[in-house]
Order: sequence, then C-alpha cells, then structure tokens
Amino acid sequence: MKLPCVSLGLLGTILMLCSVDNHGLRRCLISTDMHHIEESFQEIKRAIQAKDTFPNVTILSTLETLQIIKPLDVCCVTKNLLAFYVDRVFKDHQEPNPKILRKISSIANSFLYMQKTLRQCQEQRQCHCRQEATNVTRVIHDNYDQLEVRSAAVKSLGELDIFLAWIAKNHEVTSSA
Amino acid sequence: MLPRLVVLLAAFLSRRLGSDAHETELPSPPSVWFEAEFFHHILHWTPIPNQSESTCYEVALLRYGVEPWNSISNCSQALSYDLTAVTLDLYRSNGYRARVRAVDGSRRSNWTVTNTRFSVDEVTLTVGSVKLEIHNGFILGKIQPPRPKMAPANDTYESIFSHFREYEIAIRKVPGNFTFTHKKVKHENFSLLTSGEVGEFCVQVKPSVTSRTNKGMWSKEECVSLTRQYFTVTNVIIFFAFVLLLSGALAYCLALQLYVRRRKKLPRVLLFKKPSAFIFISQRPSPEIQDTIHPLDEEAFLKVSPELRNSDLHGSTDSGFGSTKPSLQTEEPQFLLPDPHPQADRMLGNGEPPELGDSCSSGSSNSTDSGICLQEPSLSPSTGPTWEQQVGSDSKGQDDSGIGLVQNSEGQAGDTQGGSALGHDSPPEPEVPAEQDPTAVVFRGYLRQTRCAEEKATKTGYLEEELPLTGGLGPKFRGCLDDEAGLHPPALAKGYLKQDPLEMTLASSGAPTEQWNQPTEEWSLLALSSCSDLGTSDWSFAHDLAPLGCVAAPGGLLGSFNSDLVTLPLISSLHSSE
Repeated sequence: MKLPCVSLGLLGTILMLCSVDNHGLRRCLISTDMHHIEESFQEIKRAIQAKDTFPNVTILSTLETLQIIKPLDVCCVTKNLLAFYVDRVFKDHQEPNPKILRKISSIANSFLYMQKTLRQCQEQRQCHCRQEATNVTRVIHDNYDQLEVRSAAVKSLGELDIFLAWIAKNHEVTSSA
Repeated sequence: MLPRLVVLLAAFLSRRLGSDAHETELPSPPSVWFEAEFFHHILHWTPIPNQSESTCYEVALLRYGVEPWNSISNCSQALSYDLTAVTLDLYRSNGYRARVRAVDGSRRSNWTVTNTRFSVDEVTLTVGSVKLEIHNGFILGKIQPPRPKMAPANDTYESIFSHFREYEIAIRKVPGNFTFTHKKVKHENFSLLTSGEVGEFCVQVKPSVTSRTNKGMWSKEECVSLTRQYFTVTNVIIFFAFVLLLSGALAYCLALQLYVRRRKKLPRVLLFKKPSAFIFISQRPSPEIQDTIHPLDEEAFLKVSPELRNSDLHGSTDSGFGSTKPSLQTEEPQFLLPDPHPQADRMLGNGEPPELGDSCSSGSSNSTDSGICLQEPSLSPSTGPTWEQQVGSDSKGQDDSGIGLVQNSEGQAGDTQGGSALGHDSPPEPEVPAEQDPTAVVFRGYLRQTRCAEEKATKTGYLEEELPLTGGLGPKFRGCLDDEAGLHPPALAKGYLKQDPLEMTLASSGAPTEQWNQPTEEWSLLALSSCSDLGTSDWSFAHDLAPLGCVAAPGGLLGSFNSDLVTLPLISSLHSSE
C-alpha cells in the first residue's frame, strides 16, 4: 500500500524539480539590478538614438523576434545576446562624448556581471540551445551585419531598452528600487 | 539644330532644379517630440521661423523596424497632433518614430524626425481621480487609475503596469501653502491620520512604477473638510461607561451611608434623659427650668489670689479653670470649707464665710454656682460635714458646688472634702476636726454644694462661666455628698448639683457633722428619694451617688430641699470627664 504512495511522491518531486529547473534558469538573473541599467540607458537614450538614421531597420525586433521565444529557449537566447553585446556592440561603438561613454561602460560592466551570474546557473543546470534559440541568435547577427558597423553599433545601443525589457519580462527580475 | 536643343534642355532643367530648390527652402521644424500620457500620445513640434498663414505641417509615423512611413496628416495648422489612435500598441511594441515637415503651398520642408524612439518609457504616468472620505478621524483616499476612452478594453493601467505601482501623497492644510506631509503608498487605497486636527485638507497624488523610469505627474488637488465630531461611537461609549461608573460609585456610597454606618441605637440601659435644666455646657437653661440667672459678681472674682488662679491644681482638677477664670476663683465664699461644727444656722444662714474664710469665701455670697476656689491647706475645718458646710454655706449665696482644691487635706478631712476654696491667703484652719471625718483627709477636692442650704443662686453669669469647669463638677458634687468616703476622686463625678443656698437648711438641720458618717444610710435613702424627685436623668453618676445621698437631709430639710432641687437648675456635666 505504501509503494504507490512512495512512487507518486517521487514522481511529483521529479516534476517539481523539473519545473524549478526551468524556472530556475529564468530566475538566475533575479538579483540583477536592472533598474540601474535602465536608468543609465535613459540618460544616454536621446543622444544614442538621435544618431540612428535608419529608423526603418531594426536589429533585435525583426518580425517580433524576441516576442516569439519560448521559455525553454530563454536561457540560451539570453546567454547569446549578452555575448553579442559584450563581444560586438560595445567593442564596435566609438563614443566621443565622455559622459555617454561612462554610461555605456557602466552598462557593459553590468552585462559582464549578468553573464557571470548566468554562467553559474548554467553549471548547475543544463542550458541547452535548441534550434529555435539558435535561429533567433543568427537572425540578430545577420541584421547587425547588414548595416555599416558604426550604424549597427549605434542602432544596437539604441535598442538596449528592448533587450532590457525582454530580460525583465522573461527572467522575473524584481526591481531593487 | 542639335546644340540648340541641348541648350533649351539645359535651361529647362536648371529652371526645374531651381524650383525644386526653392521648394526645399522652406525650413523644417526645429524639433519634434512626443508628449504622452497613458493612451494619450500627442506629437508636438516647434513652428518654423517666419511661417506664413499658409504654412501647415505634414505628419508621418513609422513603426520602429517596419517600413514604410505612414502619412498621418497632410496639412495641419496646429503645432501638435494626437497620434493615440495610430499608436495603440505602443505598450506592446518596440515603439514608433514620427516626423514632421512644413508645407507652404507647393513648398515642402525637410522632415524632422523625433530624436528618440517613441516607446512606453516616454509615457508620463497620471492618475484618473482621487476620492476622499472622512471616517473616525481618518481621511480615507481611493486612487482611480486613468481610464482613457481610446484605450482598448484589455489594456488597462493595472494590466500594463502590473507590478510595483506606487503613489506619492502630499497633504496640505488650508490655508497654508507648504505641504503638510508626504507619504508613499503601494496601493490605490490609503488612509491618513489627522491626529485630531480640524480644518480643510487638500491631497495630491503622483503615481510611479518603481521598476520603470517613467515620470509621474501630480494630480489635481482634492480637498476635504474635517470637523470635530463629538458624537462619535467611541465618545458615546466612553460617556456611557463613565456614567455607569459614576452611578455605581454613588450607589456604593449611598449604601455605605445607609446600611453600614447606620446610626446605632444605644441600649436602653444607657439611655437617660437629658436634663434640660441641668445642661451646663454650651446650653443656656431652658425656659422651663425654673432657675434664676444671677449676674456675676465680679468683685467676688477678684478676690481670688493670682496664685490660686494660676495654680496647677486648678488645671489638674478642673479642665475649665485655667488661670484666667477670675469669675470662678473669686467665688471664694462659695468654696469655703465647711464649718467643723455644723450648725444649721451657721450653715444655712451664715452668710459670713466660714473658717474656710479664704478668698474663696470672701465674695460671691450671692453666687448661685459653684466654682473652683483654691484654698490653702489650712482651710477651715468643719469639713466633716463638708457638704453640710456647703449646704449651710449656701447662705453665702452659693448655690452650686464647686471643686475646691485643697493642698493639704491631711487632718483636714472635712476641709478637703468640703474644701471649697483653696486660697493661699486663706487662714489656715487647723482646727479642722479630723475626728469629724477621718476619711475626708484624703479627699483632694470637695463637692461644693453651695445651695444646699442657702439662697438660690443668683449669679447666672457665674453659673454660666462654670461651663468650662465641667471636669470639676463631678468632684464638687461628690464632695458635697460624700464626705465619709473622702476618697472619691473628683474625676468620677460627672457634674454637680446646683443647690439653692436657701434650701441648704437641710444640712444644718440635718445630722451633725460628727454624725456625718452615721446617717449615711439614712441619707442615702433620703437621697434616693430626693434624687428620684429630682428625676434628673442625665446624672450619669446618679446611681453612684445615690447611696451617697443627694443633697439631702432628713426631715423637713429634705422636703424643702427637694422642692428646691426641683426648681434649682441642676448643673451637671453631661459629658463624661473620664
């Protein structure tokens, strides 16, 4: 009589762990101070976006790219986009204004911290990249490549608010403010 | 031919280009920006310089990342345009870009594009309304989020900004302009404690979302008047509780007074009728008392020696004497020691002071009340029948006994007993017949009954002044009656019998002094009868003195005495000197 109960209990535990596993990845960045990054971006948003002369072109929001990502792919997409910005956007952008450069540097450092936090979560759990996640990452890179590097970098920096909003929505990041 | 055509074509083209350039000469608006609230997105621009009346503006909108530009307005005279209808998905998209250019006739200016991508971050947060209510000294507020008409049904303020909504509340008390207090609440309902203040309060609210960088706008001021309410539920409850407590306390006190401290009735045995005629202290003789009030003879008082007045003996035996009672002390004649040789005439009609002959006896022959008269120890003897002496000495006009303090009563029993007065200057009377009454030697005071055989008291004033001599009245009485005992402490007596001196023939005709002790029983009987006649119920010592015999004498003396006793005011102390 006890055996069915035990088996049911084990099954429930496994399922719970699986759900936690998925949610855990989503909650890896919960301690990140997104509000600070958002405030920093708002201060340079006008200057950065004013330099974007191609409003009809987008890098991150092509065909609602980020809106169609499933929860299972959130971990992979987040990891890939953080690497995109740190490895390509911040390096390709040449900012002459020191005040704006300070803010961009602050945002870049925050992205590095988020990458480290996410890597720790990945070591404990598996963060497999499915085809859908890989496809989204490839589209973004292709959009970035279609523009001139400086314009692409400026546009990518101008679309930081889109990326930050997507992270807050998918990772249930609480505001520290 | 051909070169001519080329030249004409060139001229035509140049003119055309010139016209185009002229058309583009129109300046573009300097700036274009969005001013947006919740589902109220307005595009603003600055006018071009030197615009004419025919200048209008063309507006176009672009969804970020999606081509082409959509023309919204071809010619708008105003400097703003409401783009809410075409930007309803602002809160679920990546934003919009808008551009404006001036148009003047056929001329067009360049486009001026908004600097930033118009997104949800640029929406200024507002509140729809604030409702205030007053409840139990609190201001209850309810914040209503904006409900714009153009918003889709599913896009509410709460659904779009689902988390971290916050409101800042500013309270101002009219008429002051400074803000009374600031408070942040995380819900649409809030309460403010006014701390009992009254007046008009105005409230403003500014919304915000802590997870976003959106700015907030202060709402319109809402005011409410707070008046002092006396009839609140709390006050009414407190009032009724106080009334209950008070009534309970009053009931308790009333019960205490009625049932606990009820006047207890004395046992019947202890009850005795107050002799209205013998009220001595603080009461004047009642009208029915057939007593004559005689004025004081001040001269008689003056005869008291100062020593006697200030003698401690005065105070020790008579509380009321003190040293400033000349009236009493001068009543020397009344306190004279009884004649050792009791003789009726001498006792009765002898108006001259007896051998006591002290200061006490000097005066106040007409005194009707006893008083304390201090005498030398050598007061005249004749104290055996001390009382007799006094009875007989009533001729002096003393109708009341008094305490006479005898300094040395040895061998002067009679003196001491009847020691009417202790006068220092009184001639010693060693002839006190000790044989008369050996027991009287010990007696320290005497019961003065000046009215035992003498005229009635004629000195009312003196009588009245004897009021403080209450303490000494008893012994006086005792001294008059009880000579055989001689040991009766004066303190036991409660009062003294004021006797008419005229009636004091009783004593004189009574038993001789040497027989003082003998007819005790006789006298006791007589005294009983006489005492009963007197019927003074307030003689607290009556039953003690009865065996001693009231002032009584056998035979006719008794009879006359009785009547006098009845008539004479019985001055007795109702107070217990014990």
